[in-house]
Amino acid sequence: MKLDVLSGIFWLVMAILVCMESARVDVGSFKSPGPGFLPFVAALILGGFGIVLVINAVLKKTRQDSTTNLWKGLGWHKVIIILASLIAYAILLPSVGYLVLTFALMLLLFGIIERPRFWVRLVTALITVLATYLVFYMWLNVQLPKGLIDF
Amino acid sequence: MDILHSLFYGFSICIQPDNLLFCFVGVLVGTLVGVLPGIGPIGAISILLPATFRMSPISAIIMLAGIYYGAMYGGSTTSILVNIPGEAASVVTCLDGYEMAKKGKAGSALGMAAFGSFIAGTLGLIGLVFFAAPLAAFGLKFGPPEYFGVILLGLSLVTYLSHGSVIKAIMMAAVGLILSCIGLDHIQASPRMTFNVMQLWDGIDMVPLAMGLFGVSEILVSVEEAAKPEILKTKIRNLFPTMADWMKAKGAIARGSILGFFMGVLPGGGATIASLLSYSVEKRISKEPETFGKGAIEGVAGPEAANNSATAGAFVPFLTLGIPPNVLMAVLFGALVMHGIRPGPFLLVKHPDVFWGLVSSMYVGNVMLLILNIPLIPLWVQVLRIPYRILFPLILLFCVIGSYSLKNSNFDVLVMITFGIIGYLFRKFDYEGAPLILAFVLGPILELNLRQSLILSKGDFSVFFVRPISAVAICVALLLLILPLVSFLVGLAKERSAGA
Repeated sequence: MKLDVLSGIFWLVMAILVCMESARVDVGSFKSPGPGFLPFVAALILGGFGIVLVINAVLKKTRQDSTTNLWKGLGWHKVIIILASLIAYAILLPSVGYLVLTFALMLLLFGIIERPRFWVRLVTALITVLATYLVFYMWLNVQLPKGLIDF
Repeated sequence: MDILHSLFYGFSICIQPDNLLFCFVGVLVGTLVGVLPGIGPIGAISILLPATFRMSPISAIIMLAGIYYGAMYGGSTTSILVNIPGEAASVVTCLDGYEMAKKGKAGSALGMAAFGSFIAGTLGLIGLVFFAAPLAAFGLKFGPPEYFGVILLGLSLVTYLSHGSVIKAIMMAAVGLILSCIGLDHIQASPRMTFNVMQLWDGIDMVPLAMGLFGVSEILVSVEEAAKPEILKTKIRNLFPTMADWMKAKGAIARGSILGFFMGVLPGGGATIASLLSYSVEKRISKEPETFGKGAIEGVAGPEAANNSATAGAFVPFLTLGIPPNVLMAVLFGALVMHGIRPGPFLLVKHPDVFWGLVSSMYVGNVMLLILNIPLIPLWVQVLRIPYRILFPLILLFCVIGSYSLKNSNFDVLVMITFGIIGYLFRKFDYEGAPLILAFVLGPILELNLRQSLILSKGDFSVFFVRPISAVAICVALLLLILPLVSFLVGLAKERSAGA
């Protein structure tokens, strides 16, 4: 399926959902707009132009990439690893704490693109954690979560 | 004389030691961010924004503004030496700057970019000073209908002048408006699209949205492509342009400064469009257009002057009318509001220290940048050699800390990651994030002014069309929104008749 057709349909579905939610909170009228007025109008514009996009893509004679070509030959697995590690980091941050979790995250991320020796990654991760702790926690007074280590 | 007195007042504020320090930090970080591909000034401002909460508003805006125009200086370094623009406004500099570097004239190119930027930045500031007060006075005549009209026009222009598909840009602006409505309604306090998630009652914060959409997504794309930039192995000497260089470039700098300033003032304009336009103009009027793309110094001087002058121009509607004309100004707008200062016609009256302190600091910042850029270019070249495998985790970590530190909440980090995924998919499916974030920032003001206008006129919609400023603005905005539809229908009709 052409990319613009897929994305156009997606935005059309989103627009319908937003219209329904806006109607729920009261759209009001042109004379007296309610809380749902602006999102409703914006969703109408989104859905309308989504339809235009789909029609334009269907009628275009030029070849357009399919979704499989978007990731062909690229390191998409690295993207998945980065996202998974960031999501885990965000969820565990309050309980595990900044120091331990950031060290683990940096250790993982420094080896994503290339694989330097383990001790190089270890030292770099350690320096990163200590330097950012000094700058953000000590100097800029950012309240980083303590978690397992009380600092 | 009034302007002179105000400028001296501004200088007295900006040369205070803490403001000078923050100005220096801002331009240094801006240059660094401009040099390093992978993080732009929007990402840098978003990351440093939470750190400014403990500063005074003046110091904060001085530093954040320094990042903005500092990035314009830094971006040219990678364009000339690596053929990769450090940020979007330096794309055009690659065309002739890199060719000059290949011919052993990297020093001339870098020097002309720095001096041209300084001259244009200074001229832009003069324009800002002279336009600001009359425009602020004009802005006092603005009521809710005028604000609604001008903001709608600004959003329409941003979508119309977008790089890619106008239809997609309009859709992104609509998405931005929808996202801005998430949370409690400002007038009736009804929860909208919160889905019973308490953290969404305050809406989505701009900082994690911007960091995710621009910073995290950029990293994901760069890691996936694993491109390794090759730095040109050339000796950088003679950073001071020769007399012959100045004779060739003086016209380009002057034209770029004027063009850039007005493109910066225009909503939807900005540094990128200014630099592209300047290049087109210089090539068109040149007596030797065949030299463009092969190392013409006008092709470096003009665009670099334009992008710096545009940054000064962008502050005009931002400070005097409270309308950010482009994405970066939208982020700065959010930053000032977080500090309790509302840009607009009353800024000159209520907070003259912020206005004149900022304007004066921009001049001081330009001087600092000239001093930083000329002798420190070899240092920036070394910075470029930092392996990306070390750089991207650091940038991600700064994004995470920046998002977390807003409200000490990991929810904002998850929001950032979500928009990082969205931004990454946008790049795959060829959508732009700029109209989205501009609409996101302007959405609440647009809605407030719409509803206030209708309350004042007791529901009479004609209030937007009987007042000349709002009438003209709304008509032009509607025209710009309808034009893509018209061209689509005309194209459809042509294809049908060709098929028949």
